[in-house]
Amino acid sequence: MSDPGDARRREIGRALLWVGILTVVTLGMLSVRPQLEKAHIALVFLLVVLGGSAVVGRGTGLFLAGAAFLLFNYLFLPPYYTLLINNPLDWLVLATFLVTSIVATQLLYRARREADEARRRTAEIDRLASLGAETLNVGRADEALPAIAEVIRGTLGLDACDIFVRAPDGGALTLVTQVADNRDRSSGGLVEWVAENGRLVVELRDGTTHLGPRLGLGDASSPPDLALAQRLLLPLEVRHRTVGVLQVTDPTFEGFGASSWRILLALSFYAALGIERVRLAAEAEHAAALRETDRLKDALLASVSHDLRTPLTTIKALAHEIRLTGDDRAATIEEQADRLNRLVADLLDLSRLNAGVLSLRLELNLAEDLVGAAADQVSGILGSRRLEVKLDSTGELLIGRFDFVHALRVLVNLLENGVKYSPSGAPIVLRVARAGPSLCFEVEDRGPGIPPADREGIFAPFRRAAASTPDVGGAGLGLAIARGLARAQGGDVTFAPRDNGGSRFTLRLPAEAAPTVPEEHL
Amino acid sequence: MPPRAVLIVDDEPQIRRVVRNAFKADFPRVLEAETGAQGVDLAAAERPDLVILDLGLPDLSGLDVCREIRKWSAVPIVVLTARHSEDEKVTLLDAGADDYLTKPFSPAELQARVRAVLRRSGGTGTPATRLEQDGLVMDLHQRELRRDGVAIHLTPIEWELLRVLMSQPGRTLTHQQLFREVWTGRAFGDAQQYLRVYVAQLRRKIEPDPVRPQFIVTEPGVGYRFKART
Repeated sequence: MSDPGDARRREIGRALLWVGILTVVTLGMLSVRPQLEKAHIALVFLLVVLGGSAVVGRGTGLFLAGAAFLLFNYLFLPPYYTLLINNPLDWLVLATFLVTSIVATQLLYRARREADEARRRTAEIDRLASLGAETLNVGRADEALPAIAEVIRGTLGLDACDIFVRAPDGGALTLVTQVADNRDRSSGGLVEWVAENGRLVVELRDGTTHLGPRLGLGDASSPPDLALAQRLLLPLEVRHRTVGVLQVTDPTFEGFGASSWRILLALSFYAALGIERVRLAAEAEHAAALRETDRLKDALLASVSHDLRTPLTTIKALAHEIRLTGDDRAATIEEQADRLNRLVADLLDLSRLNAGVLSLRLELNLAEDLVGAAADQVSGILGSRRLEVKLDSTGELLIGRFDFVHALRVLVNLLENGVKYSPSGAPIVLRVARAGPSLCFEVEDRGPGIPPADREGIFAPFRRAAASTPDVGGAGLGLAIARGLARAQGGDVTFAPRDNGGSRFTLRLPAEAAPTVPEEHL
Repeated sequence: MPPRAVLIVDDEPQIRRVVRNAFKADFPRVLEAETGAQGVDLAAAERPDLVILDLGLPDLSGLDVCREIRKWSAVPIVVLTARHSEDEKVTLLDAGADDYLTKPFSPAELQARVRAVLRRSGGTGTPATRLEQDGLVMDLHQRELRRDGVAIHLTPIEWELLRVLMSQPGRTLTHQQLFREVWTGRAFGDAQQYLRVYVAQLRRKIEPDPVRPQFIVTEPGVGYRFKART
């Protein structure tokens, strides 16, 4: 604070000056006393009183009014040099003078006080506005906090102001302000205590501490008693969560009144918002970094896909040309290139699933549509087998919310498995129905089935049923991918033995109520 | 008029060789470009009858090349892509590509696709008043649909959907393209989301077995196509 003793001395000096002016004016009037009317004297004295109270203050004004009252009576009202009065009407003059002086002094004082208050409020608003701008304008969010601390210190004329930020998980506190001096800012657990309990703490000069109440935001309650304080710790809260602690230090806290307290509360709100902003900025950066990682993974997989498939195209094309010249071995090359391509697709899908960069387009889709596309895709490998689809295509539409392409891949995989393991001649059955919250696609074959010990193992990558017929192609990725793709869209793939031998694989996908489609008529 | 020139835009010499061999019998001139910029220049200078465009180009993306050529030319564009991404295919078709082929493809597949694309693009003239395929007859003049002589009743949306699909047999139309063609000017809030539902209802009316559609084929993740006569 600016030295209050100094201001006091200046005020006394000015008061003495006005006492001097009163003396000079009195002496001047005394020298021309015979020519003066009582009204002249009263008006001149009134002028001096008003001057003194306007320039110095209420105390001086009242003192001057009293002194002028006595001088008026003693020197200018007969009998002179006594406080007696001959003419009773003179009492009226004196009393009027005194009342007028005192009222005028009071009015002046009140007007001045209101003007001062208005000025201070304006300054306060200016400070808050500039702080708000400063908080928002600093380039990096964490540079805002030292700026806020500096504004608090400067505005309130305090010795030091520090801001401690609490880690987002509610743990460690970090001092974020940078101040030049080397004073010990650690506080022996006090800061931690304030952060933990969200309560105000005042530390007195004798080292004892006093706990204040919990503070709500915008709490305009009266300030704590800071007469003997040397340190004040204030919890910083955003949405009822303590995000940090504000510490202000001053040897005396002199002149720290209600308005200072109000400013401190308002500014501490900015500090809390500043901390929140740092946290949000960090979170946003983190999210951006994760997105970037995902993008890179996806780009890598895409380029691997390109690099592996381009030579396969060449191989297939050359094999095709050779086959046209009559060499049947080229057909095998073409087949194997296709097989290699499927393996590449499987590995890429598995990588996408594992890397968590599988892109999903969950949309309204129809079971009929999915089954039709799947039947179309497996039609080439059925051979002598039949695919029996059991789906009621006259009743209500079976609708689900799923990714059509991924769901198709799963269903085709299950159908291909059925074809692979079924004895030739036995039909593959695809049963589609709604079951509670799911659409169920059951694929049934008459293959060898899966021994109980292997029933979960078959869903692990690179595993194949032990009883599998010798080489049926594929690397045992199919079921692992099928389950991964189904689960990624809120469904699942499960196994159950089929009655009278064989396997039943079930694909479940989230069902959706049939929408009411606007219908028109021709 | 027989096709004269085909332009191949691909940075891989091996792929260019494959494509060149597939077309040298049908096209007297085979033009080759290694970069997207070169491809655009050649397409502008030589006005080829067909463009085979690889997506993985070193300079421009294949998508940009496609958009650039579409600004001033309706030449059929067939895109080769190694990414098995349906989103990419949709973007390409919406950008004006006529068809796409995923690697690895066989030369026979490529030739078949290109023949279909050329047949479609060659078939301009007066708009047909009657669309017909495999017993399904759509009389645009009478606004009447019959399958094997039996009249089928369609709602206006279903009629329009079938008309759009049937008038471009063999061509894959994306969900977006179908939506634009069928719903433009109609006030239906969520029609795009329910496009699949409309297709399912249409299939139930026109397909002998809606679960094994023979007219309206699903292109998974991309759109629908009216099966071309083979």
